[in-house]
Amino acid sequence: MSTTDGDMGVVVRTSARATIPLIGIFGAYIVAHGHLTPGGGFQGGATIAGAGILFLLAFGLEEMKRHFNKNLYSALEGIGGLAFLGAAMLGISVAFFYNTLWHNGPFFNGNPGTLLSAGYLPIMNLAVGLKVFTGLVSAMAGLALYRRWRG
Amino acid sequence: MMALPYLIIIPLFGVFSMPVVSLAGRKAREAWAALISGATLAVGSWVFYWVYRNGTILYTLGAKSPLGQGVDFPIRIVWEVDLFGALMVLMVTLVSFMAVVYSTGYMRHDTGLDKYYTLILILELGMLGIAITGDLFNFYVFLEIMSIASYALVAFRNDTWEGIEAGIKYMFAGSLASSLVLLGITLLYGQYGTLTMGYLAVKLSQNPTVTAKVALALFIAGLLFKSGASPVHMWLADAHPAAPSSISAMHSGLVIKIGGLYALARIAFSIYGASISRETVGWVIIIFACITLIVGNAMAVIQTDMKRLLAYSSVGQVGYILLGLGIGLAAYGSHTGEVALAGAIYHTFNHALMKALLFLIAGAVIHQLGTRNLNELSGLAKTMPKTTFAFLVGAAAIVGMPPLNGFASKWLIYESSALFNPVLGAIAIIGTAFCTAAYVRVLYTFFGRPSEKVLEAKDPEASMLWPMIILAIAIIVMGLFPWQISDRVMLPVARALEDQLAYVATLMGGG
Repeated sequence: MSTTDGDMGVVVRTSARATIPLIGIFGAYIVAHGHLTPGGGFQGGATIAGAGILFLLAFGLEEMKRHFNKNLYSALEGIGGLAFLGAAMLGISVAFFYNTLWHNGPFFNGNPGTLLSAGYLPIMNLAVGLKVFTGLVSAMAGLALYRRWRG
Repeated sequence: MMALPYLIIIPLFGVFSMPVVSLAGRKAREAWAALISGATLAVGSWVFYWVYRNGTILYTLGAKSPLGQGVDFPIRIVWEVDLFGALMVLMVTLVSFMAVVYSTGYMRHDTGLDKYYTLILILELGMLGIAITGDLFNFYVFLEIMSIASYALVAFRNDTWEGIEAGIKYMFAGSLASSLVLLGITLLYGQYGTLTMGYLAVKLSQNPTVTAKVALALFIAGLLFKSGASPVHMWLADAHPAAPSSISAMHSGLVIKIGGLYALARIAFSIYGASISRETVGWVIIIFACITLIVGNAMAVIQTDMKRLLAYSSVGQVGYILLGLGIGLAAYGSHTGEVALAGAIYHTFNHALMKALLFLIAGAVIHQLGTRNLNELSGLAKTMPKTTFAFLVGAAAIVGMPPLNGFASKWLIYESSALFNPVLGAIAIIGTAFCTAAYVRVLYTFFGRPSEKVLEAKDPEASMLWPMIILAIAIIVMGLFPWQISDRVMLPVARALEDQLAYVATLMGGG
């Protein structure tokens, strides 16, 4: 990979290579433990989006264009929303947002404090995390691609 | 009432699936948007019918009962739809469906339409949420959903300077207004520890404080902005001309009513009804109403831009609705107050239909001729007869000609304001005189000698024409039964809004 105009230097790129996976894993941890520890879908999703933004800054717009697919990210954002709505509708026979997974199972109804507890909450956190990550990265990519400085 | 959540679920489903459906191309996207808003209209009509037959719906999110275990106060988000809310639901779903169908033809030459249809459904979703919610913070969230979608839609044509300018103006001032509402909610929560509207009403009447009054002032300030009342109407006059016409129709017909007037009425009657001096708040609203009436209608007379004229006319009509609402508060408990409130609600519904119609027509004219300047539009009646006829219907209705629906609603407001205070009646008549002058001027232009620019114009295609025809028919049919509608629907709606005890009892009784 050659350094084109607007890229960062080799030190930044190398440390970005090391830190992007770490940021991603930490964000995924926050999303997955949203019902147990502080944080949740939004905070974790924004953290993972931070990894995406670091990629954009360290490797430049050309490299970003190669890896960023607008339709894929847009569709994933929609799917995140649909998953949230689907989780909210699981208990529709009682009420909208009724936590039927927690009350009746079959899964996510373990002991409180364990990872597989809290009913639909982990699903909703994953959905929100996906939506926030794809939305923020798309917004940043859209801004970075925005035509040019002068008309 | 298990159909109520589908009022939110269906548009949400449409919004979230739009990016996926969009991948299948333009036709799929248009059909999907029309299908979703059509299904919402079906649910909305059913909800209205059900509430009209069986009374207020209480729907709790997450459980059967809003009350917490072992406590006697509500802890969950509730949706409470009385007849007033149900009427607003019907109005929003009807006009939104027309606007979406109209967009399929009107927006054909624009790009980025996957975002457009997503946003228009979000706008509808936000307005429906405001109409059905019984929770103050839920109300704020839906208010922001509606507002942010409308900022984006006003600036949708971001290659035009006016779209960006109007969008920025609207967004900066609108965010400030929303934050006033949020501050009011924060104060109330800090003081009373609840966000459920009905329970808050109980707490407020037990212990009225200065905090509650400050919060009410913040609500009134924020919501008067959203309704486009003078002196904070300036965003409206820029936003409506700059937005695509289908969006202007939704803004002028729905957004300013749901986000401003409906919310104001709900907060004044259902939350603060028993704990404030209704007369003082009523007079505050009446004063703003009088300013709005005169400023809006008078500014409409001097416009040369067709959509700007319609925008100022919207400001003027908001003045009538505020006047009815203010008298309804100030003369609470008397027959005059009830009639004024019924007139305000009736006019809200009527104005939604006629202003949506007028903006859709303005869009058709711009689509055909590429200009909004009234001086260049003379003689449209020759080349666009159906469009001109629809405009004639809309203009006559908004002025208040007897066979059309605007007459009865304005009559109720005139009658009650004259009974309440003759000066207010005179101000209302002066406003109508200006309004008539403005629309007669436009009609005079339309029926003049055809200018060269107009000669190649023709009536728009079916997808744009049919929403206009349906709205015109609705206006004419509603105009045939003005007093039946007033007695059977609007007066019961006004009574439902005035009856704060029933609102609270529905909540605390658990359904």
